Amino acid sequence: MTVSRVLLVCWAALATLSVCTVVLAHVGATSLLSIAILLVAVGKAWLITDGFMEMRHAPRLWRRLMLSWALVLATVVGLTLVSFR
Amino acid sequence: MSTSAESTGVTQRHLPGDLAMWFFILAELSVFAILILAFAVTQALKPQMFSESRLLLNTSTGLAMTLSLLTAGLFAALAQEQVRRSRSRHGAVFLLMALLAASVYVVLKLTEYRHLLASGLGMEHNTFFTLYWILTGFHFLHVLLGMFILGWLAERCRRGLYDANTRSGFESGVLYWHMVDLIWVMLFPLVYVLS
Repeated sequence: MTVSRVLLVCWAALATLSVCTVVLAHVGATSLLSIAILLVAVGKAWLITDGFMEMRHAPRLWRRLMLSWALVLATVVGLTLVSFR
Repeated sequence: MSTSAESTGVTQRHLPGDLAMWFFILAELSVFAILILAFAVTQALKPQMFSESRLLLNTSTGLAMTLSLLTAGLFAALAQEQVRRSRSRHGAVFLLMALLAASVYVVLKLTEYRHLLASGLGMEHNTFFTLYWILTGFHFLHVLLGMFILGWLAERCRRGLYDANTRSGFESGVLYWHMVDLIWVMLFPLVYVLS
């Protein structure tokens, strides 16, 4: 697959996941849906990091640092929101 | 998913752009992480206020802003690919398309800001809107700086100053834009969606 095609696939996945976020929000407001929305956000962040920023070709330490930003942030946000319910 | 680099057997790992830009990106991500966590903690403490205030925001507008930023990111990445092939003029065209897509975000955001201010939902309205203005306003400033950088890169591409061998500065500029995208995809669900 050419680089341009990889980028287009990433963009299409990002757009689809963005629509999914809004659809999930309209389904309801439960803890499970909040976690699903946060997981979608992490997926989008990883697509940007590995796809657009090309971290899939970067040294592992930098790649892990960048991928963990979204994961750690979403985990802490999720725990904060769920634990106060 | 395999790319041309992988298919040609290139296995050496490479960090795009300048190392300094990566430290700058880490610093920026840390600042936004603190702001996003502050928003989440306050929401946990005042869930009723946040749920009611969030209803005053338009989720469809938030989605449209997301799509415009992501589209700008796609065009910026495509421009980078052109520069790597030493086709900087083509890169300039893609960067202009990225700027056009980013302009949609700016128009939508300014319209939203104007609507909120006209409705009396300024920074002092309540805690939700204080944090909303700080978080989205700070991000908006980053978008404007990112657009300035993309415009500057487009002009240098037009003059043929980047090619496959001299592209580190170009990659750093494009990385800044992707960072703006990255922050928004975490910010959008928290501010517009999560209740």
